[in-house]
Amino acid sequence: MSRAVRSGARRARLPRGEGPWAWLAAGSVALSLLLLGGLLTLIAVSGLGHFWPASVSLLELDDGRQLAGRAVRELPLPEGEGRERLYFTGNRDLDGQVWHWLAVERIAASERPPELVVLERRRFGDFIGRLVAVVPADRVQAAAAAAAADEPEAWAALGSRLDALEALRAERETLRRGVILPLVRQLEADPEDRAARRELAQANARARVLAAAMQGEVAILESVDGRRLVQPLDEVLRAWRPNAMSLPEKLGAWSRGLWRFLSEGPRAANTAGGVWPAIFGTVLMVLLMSVVVTPFGVLAAVYLNEVAHQGRLTRWVRIAVRNLAGVPSIVYGVFGLGVFVYGIGGSLDEWFFDEQLPSPTFGTGGLLWASLTLALLTLPVVIVATEEGLARIPVHQREGALALGATRLEMLARVVLPMAVPAMLTGVILAIARAAGEVAPLMLVGVAKLAPQVPVDGEFPFLHLDRKFMHLGYHLYDTAFHGDDVQAAMPVVYATALLLVLVVLVLNLTAIFMRHHLRARHGALPRH
Amino acid sequence: MIAPPPAPPSSRSPWRRVVDRLATGLIAAGGIGVIVALLAIGAFLALEVLPALLSGSLSREQVVASLTPLAWGTLKAAFWALVFAIPLALGAAIHSAAFMSQRLRSRLKPTLELMEALPGVVIGFVAGLVLAPWVERHLAGALALLLVLPPGALLAGGLWRCLPTPLRRRLPLAWAGLWLVPWLALLGLAALTLAPALEAGWFAGDLRGWLDRELGLDYASRNALIVGLAMGFAVMPSVYALAEDALSGVPASLGEGAQALGASRWQTLWKVVLPTAAPGIFAAVMIGAGRAVGETMIVLMASGNTALMSLSPLEGMRSMAAGIAIELPEAVPGSDPYRLLMLAALLLFLFTFLVNTLAEAVRDRLRRRYRRLGGGA
Amino acid sequence: MSVQPFQTMPVSRRPAGPIIDVSPEASSLEIENLTLAYAGKPALRELTLRIPRQRVTAFIGPSGCGKSTLLRALNRLHDLNEAVSWRGSIRLEGQDIHAPEVAVDELRRRVGMVFQAPNPFPMSIYENVAFGLRLRGGLSRRRLDDIVEWALNAAALWDEVKDRLRASAWSLSGGQQQRLVIARTLAVRPEVLLLDEPASALDPISTLKIEELIRSLKSQLTLVLVTHNMQQAARVSDYTAFLHEGELVEYGPTDDVFTNPRLARTENYITGRMA
Repeated sequence: MSRAVRSGARRARLPRGEGPWAWLAAGSVALSLLLLGGLLTLIAVSGLGHFWPASVSLLELDDGRQLAGRAVRELPLPEGEGRERLYFTGNRDLDGQVWHWLAVERIAASERPPELVVLERRRFGDFIGRLVAVVPADRVQAAAAAAAADEPEAWAALGSRLDALEALRAERETLRRGVILPLVRQLEADPEDRAARRELAQANARARVLAAAMQGEVAILESVDGRRLVQPLDEVLRAWRPNAMSLPEKLGAWSRGLWRFLSEGPRAANTAGGVWPAIFGTVLMVLLMSVVVTPFGVLAAVYLNEVAHQGRLTRWVRIAVRNLAGVPSIVYGVFGLGVFVYGIGGSLDEWFFDEQLPSPTFGTGGLLWASLTLALLTLPVVIVATEEGLARIPVHQREGALALGATRLEMLARVVLPMAVPAMLTGVILAIARAAGEVAPLMLVGVAKLAPQVPVDGEFPFLHLDRKFMHLGYHLYDTAFHGDDVQAAMPVVYATALLLVLVVLVLNLTAIFMRHHLRARHGALPRH
Repeated sequence: MIAPPPAPPSSRSPWRRVVDRLATGLIAAGGIGVIVALLAIGAFLALEVLPALLSGSLSREQVVASLTPLAWGTLKAAFWALVFAIPLALGAAIHSAAFMSQRLRSRLKPTLELMEALPGVVIGFVAGLVLAPWVERHLAGALALLLVLPPGALLAGGLWRCLPTPLRRRLPLAWAGLWLVPWLALLGLAALTLAPALEAGWFAGDLRGWLDRELGLDYASRNALIVGLAMGFAVMPSVYALAEDALSGVPASLGEGAQALGASRWQTLWKVVLPTAAPGIFAAVMIGAGRAVGETMIVLMASGNTALMSLSPLEGMRSMAAGIAIELPEAVPGSDPYRLLMLAALLLFLFTFLVNTLAEAVRDRLRRRYRRLGGGA
Repeated sequence: MSVQPFQTMPVSRRPAGPIIDVSPEASSLEIENLTLAYAGKPALRELTLRIPRQRVTAFIGPSGCGKSTLLRALNRLHDLNEAVSWRGSIRLEGQDIHAPEVAVDELRRRVGMVFQAPNPFPMSIYENVAFGLRLRGGLSRRRLDDIVEWALNAAALWDEVKDRLRASAWSLSGGQQQRLVIARTLAVRPEVLLLDEPASALDPISTLKIEELIRSLKSQLTLVLVTHNMQQAARVSDYTAFLHEGELVEYGPTDDVFTNPRLARTENYITGRMA
């Protein structure tokens, strides 16, 4: 009896069916999450996978041909049954191409011999094959005659040689930066300086010695199908044997690869190497932008919320400012190009950089104009966030200050603005997040595909506002769409995309967290 | 008690007042300056374009001939973006306003906010270089996905009703947004696996060839559907956020009244909540349209950028924003192409500004109405 | 300083109107024919009364009667609100507070105000008390310490907070916060202290402490108290003004107003027949 009652009660409490539309609505939430998750996973996996020293397979095809490479992906054949697989085989200098599509059923045997080496080279990209010997350049003939006798010894020699080369490179770089460049500048200022001239000659001689020491050794390489190649060692950046590496070794190589991506400049027309100049340019541009946007955004918000007569006009201005946040970024770019670059920049050139015309100094896109354009673009974000923060501060805090005899300025500066700081920071962080991901206006006002000079250096005035700079987002666009071999650039593009997404997400999460924290704190305030 | 100290001297008093006046003046000047600088954008564009238009140095035919394809491309891209974004965004908004558990909702909103923050250049890259080639190769699979997912959600609802009670309790509708994710993923995989067989059966194994033969549709790898999908993804979160605001702002007393009369939650939503919130939803869609019209990088990277004027969703287009981004750096200041691009920028500015203002006005009125209906809640 | 001479007028000769004269006390604030409107809607009508120096004067009346509005007019807090318009005059020690030569910040220093909800600033206890002093500057560190200690003592808070002067003011309890706000106001040595329902957000014990404090401060300054609590007005104040719908209905020594109200309206309110 009681049991029946209980089950009856349970049935009554069961939620009723809501019909098909409710499920479609739920499905759209799920689909959105699925899409977002899929996108992020795709970028994260592909972006991070790029640095993994993947194993290399030695393949024997049904016609007896041999190939070595790492599998990239597999697709069904466009015609007929079966599947085909894409291999990255490297060796552009031998084959003329780095990719091979192979039908899966044509692969007769596949193995992973540990002695296969991968060399990352300055020219022609990666080499995949076997190492025969490491010898001085003048003994190539003799060594080539010998067979691949002592492979482990050659590998050890290669490793120590590459380490020595790395040390030489580092020394040359310090010499160039620490001694030669300052001397050159000194001589530019005073061409008569004998002592400097002598020192420069000495330094240059030392640099030549270093350069000579870097050359002179070659590696004799052999592709898996037996073609030989003499590779000057100073063009080899790194070498590894992925099949012989243990998991911790691979992890180590992976994190080193990640670090190199973050800390080095791009190579091979942006399809390889790192993104350091782009990170630097993005950060610098965003910093400059925040320096401009924070005071002006706060000023405008304080004016709108605290000083202006709260009438119809102020309400309209507020709506207009809010709407400017929805105006396409490209329109801000057009404004920046027309007003900053051609207008102000052109005039500056005529007045101050007369002697360099017609080649423009400020009359072309550059760091300063890009920062200003993005500052304008993000102003509404900062204004709206700050205004919200100001409006949230209870009236009785203001009245408390006024009742003690504070003037309006003192009330603002000592009570209201300090309380609104988290809101302002939230606005600035959101602005930074938006600016970091924004590319379209930058295409008009000042990014470069490849900027050899970073906008900050030891040369007066140290920060070069007129220079073009690299930007992560534009780097991504340019590498993905204007490269010769998009397929080869894909890993770098994925990694760049991942970096950009991470930066933007972290900034946004910070802003969301701060806003949440802010609401919680102000919710605890006593209210009228 | 200690003897009271004498009243503190007000040594700085006159000075303080001067500083206060000065600072107030400066704040006002600075604030007005910043706001004027912001509003100067529209004025600048108009000044660049209007003299040329009025003096006739830009002829009507010239303007029409060069801007029509761009305007067409812009509208086409925005249209397809909205086709994808609106059902998704409104569905999600309805679900989270009416059915979702509070806990999930408070997590979902910031998640979709993050989705909104994803840079256009990243979405454009994935659309142009990953999605477009994949769809080109798996056209049938992509079509199958589109056709399977909506009925998949319905199927989930149908199956749910047949589940035993304890399981039903473990998988409530309030959390369906979450537990449907693996279900949809599973269905998607199934659709992809079955697609080649279906293609072989219905379209002679070659959907692309079939489209070309039977419908005369040419398939471009980067086409309006790809752009629409990518831009829909980008626009959806902002439409969702505004629509959700409008729906959840409807005073609870209205819905409770209907439910007291025996309406189900869905009926309440359909008959009472949706009509009340309709202006807010309209505003959300308008703002979404404004964003879709102005989005540059996604169109630039996923559309092929050919200035075609075709109705076919399987062909590419070139939008105003993308046109400006490509051509303006090369245009000589003051030349006709330069002025035409400025005109395009002005049109973009006016369109988005008007659309946003309209939306904002609608939202403002709606908020007041809610306040009246909810008795100040 | 010119104090206006008082007209002495026997109570019995004005049976119908409010007593506007509280002689023989010297008055601190004189309000004359004050009419004040919010966005055109009158909140105070033709108000005339004198507030005696170094006494506690209570404004009572149903909510919306204009008692808080009147209080805020006394230190020109309405200046902030553009919708407010007024007519008439208010004199502090004989000087019109709206005269052009009166600086509003100096006026507000002389006429301090404590609000209904405690509103300490988000700073340390010490900084809260020193806030008004720092605005004026010119005080050595030692002097500042002395005045802060004196003010906290005067507000009967020193013993409770002397070991944690650097702690956030928001860490105090509600009653302590309110006494901190009073200390903060006392630190700038006001002549008049306006209290707008200072105990309405507090528990009974804190309320008692505040009332004690108000009585103890009487020897130093003029206090004006707005309250909706009849017992509180009766316990604390020397004079009571009853306002209704923006008009002054009855005004006189508290004992007279409470034990022997001359008008039915006053009696109804005091005995609880009018909300």
